[in-house]
Amino acid sequence: MPHEHSRPTRRDFLKTASTGLAAGLVGRSLPLHAAPHPDLAVVSGDPAAAARRAVEALGGMSRFVQTGDRVVLKPNMSFASGPERASNTHPAVVYAVAEMCLAAGAKQVMIVDNPLQTAELCLRRAGVADACKGLKNTYVQMFTDRKFYREIKVPQGKVLDRVEVIKEVLDSQVLICLPQAKSHSNTGISMGIKGLMGLIWDRGSFHGRYNINEALADLATAIRPRLTILDATRALTTGGPGGPGEVVTPNLIIAGTDPVAVDSFGVGVAPWYGQKFQGRQVEHLLAASQHGLGKIDVESLSVLRATA
Amino acid sequence: MRAAIQALSLLLFTLLFGLADYRLPDWLPADIYLRLDPLLGLSAIVAGRTWVPRAIWGLALLVATALVGRFFCSYVCPLGAILDFLDPLLFRRVKRRALDADGALRNVKYVVLIVFIAAALAGSSLVYLLDPISLLTRTYTLALFPPFVGLLNLLLDAVRPVADAMRWMNIATLSYTQPVFYMSLLTLLIFAGIIALGRLAPRFWCRYLCPLGALLSLFSPLGRLRRTVGPECPACGACQKACPMGAAMDDGGTRLAECTQCRTCVAACPTDVIAFPASSKMLPVGLSSRPDLSRRTFLYSVAGGVGLGFGVQHSPFTPLQNKQQLIRPPGALPEGDFLATCIRCGECMKSCLTNTLQPTLWEGGLAGLWTPRLDLRFAACEQECNVCGKVCPTQAIRSLDLEEKTHAKLGTAVLKKEMCLVWAQDKLCLICDEVCPYDAIVFRTIDGYRRPFVVASRCNGCGYCEQRCPVEGESAIVVAPIGQIRLRTESYVAEAKKLQLDFKPNPGDDRFIPKSEGLRVEPEPRDDARPQPSMRTPGAAARPPKGFLPEAGDF
Repeated sequence: MPHEHSRPTRRDFLKTASTGLAAGLVGRSLPLHAAPHPDLAVVSGDPAAAARRAVEALGGMSRFVQTGDRVVLKPNMSFASGPERASNTHPAVVYAVAEMCLAAGAKQVMIVDNPLQTAELCLRRAGVADACKGLKNTYVQMFTDRKFYREIKVPQGKVLDRVEVIKEVLDSQVLICLPQAKSHSNTGISMGIKGLMGLIWDRGSFHGRYNINEALADLATAIRPRLTILDATRALTTGGPGGPGEVVTPNLIIAGTDPVAVDSFGVGVAPWYGQKFQGRQVEHLLAASQHGLGKIDVESLSVLRATA
Repeated sequence: MRAAIQALSLLLFTLLFGLADYRLPDWLPADIYLRLDPLLGLSAIVAGRTWVPRAIWGLALLVATALVGRFFCSYVCPLGAILDFLDPLLFRRVKRRALDADGALRNVKYVVLIVFIAAALAGSSLVYLLDPISLLTRTYTLALFPPFVGLLNLLLDAVRPVADAMRWMNIATLSYTQPVFYMSLLTLLIFAGIIALGRLAPRFWCRYLCPLGALLSLFSPLGRLRRTVGPECPACGACQKACPMGAAMDDGGTRLAECTQCRTCVAACPTDVIAFPASSKMLPVGLSSRPDLSRRTFLYSVAGGVGLGFGVQHSPFTPLQNKQQLIRPPGALPEGDFLATCIRCGECMKSCLTNTLQPTLWEGGLAGLWTPRLDLRFAACEQECNVCGKVCPTQAIRSLDLEEKTHAKLGTAVLKKEMCLVWAQDKLCLICDEVCPYDAIVFRTIDGYRRPFVVASRCNGCGYCEQRCPVEGESAIVVAPIGQIRLRTESYVAEAKKLQLDFKPNPGDDRFIPKSEGLRVEPEPRDDARPQPSMRTPGAAARPPKGFLPEAGDF
């Protein structure tokens, strides 16, 4: 009978359920897993301290980075402006995360972006290079030459079927996104998923050839960060992505493994263009959640709130 | 000893050339060799009818030449050094006999000099064509610098696999931006030609053509370190054969104007009778120094120079009155003054952070050859950089602080709606807005789409929009010289204020409601004539900004 295999019998169901239940109970009693990790850690306070607290709340960096891993960090640093303008990630956040990666045993931390303004000036102005100067095996690099990119397929893409990605990202074991929370005059907001565009070579086609929101969701199926730490210590609520615009200070770091959930939560922490929005109202986040990339409804998430 | 000094000078010239970029500190005159060249300063002052403070350095060289002699050519001149170093490599096996036309050829450099000065009197800068320092700097920039970077990158690419494997990440990720220039080949050919002339006679260029050498030779016989030949001279002719400048004569005499005090003759002399003693006696001016030019040649040269200078300015190509499409560097003098003062050394193009500065071929008329212009489709003018004026030896591009430079409006972006992805194809594109450092692009809702407009009074023509426009081929937003500000001495900030321009970053382009004047806004649908989102009263039904979907209840 064909459907004997496709459909679990009652016995199978009970077996599996009881195994799961037992595993859960045993797991609970082990001190290491005393509490399951929350979906999101939302921490207010000083940028660096909040970033550390948030990672700690998610189980510590060793949950994401193993000894000997090559790690890529993707902050926003593609504008030649300082943290006060809120178009770039706060350098203190980048530093804190890089340091945690090294402490977790990372062999190398490569901090990358593909800048929109002159690379050298972005490096100087964004402050990340200066902040991370003292860290061992840590490099801050703008990849502005195509030879540093490699084409990959996007098997789950609806409109985007291949894309050229920074080689270092493809060859590393861990990608951590460190987006800045900001408005974007095309995609509404720019956070973790929008920030993935800083890892690819041809951004023009996202505007010209594709619907940018669909293309972004497709891109997110191909490049999957292990962790997203959203810098909403400041948020650029108008005039994004480059600013200058109105800057508010939600004073929050939002971290999680689910890129859609992090962004979706981030949508709620500030008014964008003077209006309140939910994650579901952001086209590219909705598309990403429909791709099965994460949960968009923040009410269903377990959120750990803390102050650093 | 001399070779060492020459090598050092060439090294310094090359080093300063390398240092000329946006990081150049204010105290370091990277253009010092160009400033030291009195011919360039003289031409700029005469042709531009203006005082060039940096030309004072040239006076220093003239004074030094009058005191010591024509030492510049054999010890300092970087082009002379290159010719000297290449000569044994290229022409060792070549037997070069004294040229029959030596006497006549010697005069060519004076004719060249007179033509250039006469042209300057007529208001045209032509000296750049053959001035050695300008020519060499230009060759470095346009012809040698790009292949140098290319080779460096090839080398880096070659070691990259090793660096990758060894995890030398600083090398593995290192790559230099390849500079690209128009007119590289033309410039290289001219340089190659000058080197090739060495086939006919050593230092052919210096002996016969160099106008700077000609100018210096007018002063050098006054110098106190003169070549003397003792009475025991057997007139063997060894010095005459050895002298690279042809300054030693067979009768033991010296053409003082030609002697560059290189002392090759001292080494060549078998009897040690040649010396360069410091003499306190001043030679009567004119002795052995007057160029052997007939009055006729002189007059022809002057007439030719004036005619050429006039013709260059009034050729049908020459665009006067700013009726041309070229975008000049920020701080460039008004076009006429700019053309007269610019010496085409290419230092601005070398130092340009984004490589947008490119040499002009015919686009600026005959008078505009090799002058810098911006190619904004290729690269934009970076608002945080003001190096082009800093390194300009004649200040054809004024050295401005960043505040002043920001207000030196280059032109205005013009949107070509029939090419724009948003206007013509209803695509979601905002790149021009995204990259605009001055928020000169605003969006308004027309026919249900948010469409870009240029606010002319906020655009300073930096060209980021033109460069980054994703339309293939020609950009859908192009900077035209409309409204460019070109001032001789006045403040750009004051001028911009007078014109009610505002280049300060504006808090929030999406809150910026463009004034109707200066903008052609088609009549909007009624529901769009509403306040900006931020000013909306709560509860009012409205469409959310682009990228946001309406709330479920709004459907």
